[in-house]
Amino acid sequence: MIEAQGISKRYGDFVAVDNLSFEAEAGDVVGFLGPNGAGKTTTMRILTGFMPATDGTAVIGGYDIHEAPLDARRAVGYLPESPPVYPEMDVRGYLVYVSKLKDVPRAKRREAVDRAMERCGLTEVHRRPIGALSKGYRQRVGIAQAIVHEPRVLILDEPTVGLDPNQILEIRELLARLARSDEGGTARTIVLSTHILAEVDAICRRVILIRDGRKVLDQPLEQIRSEQGSLEQAFARLTLGAEAPPAASLTASGSEDGE
Amino acid sequence: MRHLGAIAGRELRSYFVSPMAYAVLAVFSLLAGFFLVMQVLSFNAAIAYLEQTQQLETLDRFNLNEVVVYGYYHVIWIVLLLLVPGLTMGLFSNEKANGTEELLLTSPITIWELVLGKYLAAGAMVTLLIAVVAGFIGILFAYGDPEPLQTAAGLLGLWLLALTYAAIGAFTSSMTPSPLVAFVFSVLVLLMLFFLGFAVDVGMGAQAGGAGADGLLENLRWISSDGHFDELTRGLVDTRSLAYFGFMIGVFLLLTKASVESVRWR
Ligand SMILES: Nc1ncnc2c1ncn2[C@@H]1O[C@H](COP(=O)(O)OP(=O)(O)OP(=O)(O)O)[C@@H](O)[C@H]1O
Ligand SMILES: [Mg+2]
Repeated sequence: MIEAQGISKRYGDFVAVDNLSFEAEAGDVVGFLGPNGAGKTTTMRILTGFMPATDGTAVIGGYDIHEAPLDARRAVGYLPESPPVYPEMDVRGYLVYVSKLKDVPRAKRREAVDRAMERCGLTEVHRRPIGALSKGYRQRVGIAQAIVHEPRVLILDEPTVGLDPNQILEIRELLARLARSDEGGTARTIVLSTHILAEVDAICRRVILIRDGRKVLDQPLEQIRSEQGSLEQAFARLTLGAEAPPAASLTASGSEDGE
Repeated sequence: MRHLGAIAGRELRSYFVSPMAYAVLAVFSLLAGFFLVMQVLSFNAAIAYLEQTQQLETLDRFNLNEVVVYGYYHVIWIVLLLLVPGLTMGLFSNEKANGTEELLLTSPITIWELVLGKYLAAGAMVTLLIAVVAGFIGILFAYGDPEPLQTAAGLLGLWLLALTYAAIGAFTSSMTPSPLVAFVFSVLVLLMLFFLGFAVDVGMGAQAGGAGADGLLENLRWISSDGHFDELTRGLVDTRSLAYFGFMIGVFLLLTKASVESVRWR
């Protein structure tokens, strides 16, 4: 579903992503981790076609992001770091608009929008202007726009930031269902970035860890647990250097305020 | 181009939920009405004076078209120059500020669909402004008998001018996340274009004794909208002036497209 082939991104002399390759299959839920500034958002922006890679390419749903950008983008649902919403639009109007942009056929739009709202717990606020919603609800709208066209690949940049604990659980369950085939027929590929390692523990099957734009770990979660002790320890060891500090201090500071 | 309607439609709707569009429309209608009344009043005063002083020859040449309509169109020109940027300033800058640029550029739409869709919406708004002018001009037909063709040619000139300004405004809006900066910047560009015509005239006047018009000055004059607009308000519909407006709109839409796309190369 996703095949990243040696992606690099340079801003002038600064290398934000350095020769990154990985693969993800249908049904995979990949946690994309790394400290602040590691290049997670940059990589996601390249995969979703927001900007091209300086070097390398990726194939998404069978389409090369540089050769067939429109087809590749159609196969992807993307939640950027901050939800891309128009404050003056109401929730339903916004999702209808997104479904048009994403080529949902006219006859299926209403159903698609209703389903996305239901899945994200937005049905009650469907006529409210998005600007009048709380931060968490705006985040839900962001997730709803990412799934409204039933994409086979979901790329989510810190999807649970700003959500309340109940909603975090609901979104985690939703993501797990979306990854399996029981919601909407086909299994999906999900790549999500987060700083909440407990979230990775809860829903991801695999972890890709990057640091300074370079991949430093790409393993199934079970293997990480058995070989490195815990995800926290692996994260600390691989992103802080050789000596691992007490893992607890890192998770405490790393679990909140990603920005 | 199948996303054109969705993009233009959203843009148009957003115009009418924000107070800005209403403010621009209201201010424009007010000014357009005010200046028409002023034109007519001063026209009447001038006629009365000419009759009183028996300057029949001048009175003969003094007609509604030359004085009222022509003068009115030139005043509206200045108003458009200041107000059209108010309509276009948010076109792209708001998308950058909202972060919705990321939604647009990761959707299966082309940059041209985006640029043309937004331009279509802005074009509809400036057309509304010109319709207001047309409405006021219609009142003149009840009052006197302006020449229909010349009046229509002038309206066409205003419309093309406003469409050109909208393209320039779209471009400046694509360069910054701040609508205010976009507004100031486009007014500056439009003023430069406006004064270019006068500057060239002055330059040509200075040269008049010499070897005639310089090639550069001729080119600058062509780029300035003054001459083309003036011809139209005099009732001269020349393909060269039509081509001018088409050219300017095309160039600025191309620049807008390049500017929107440039996010990808930074
Ligand atoms: N437009 C840009 N110009 C120059 N450098 C940039 C630009 N965008 C990002 N960078 C740099 O690229 C690096 C990677 O940034 P990126 O946003 O991908 O990190 P991240 O892993 O998402 O971090 P975070 O966890 O804070 O979200 C950072 O050092 C950032 O400063
Ligand atoms: Mg980030």
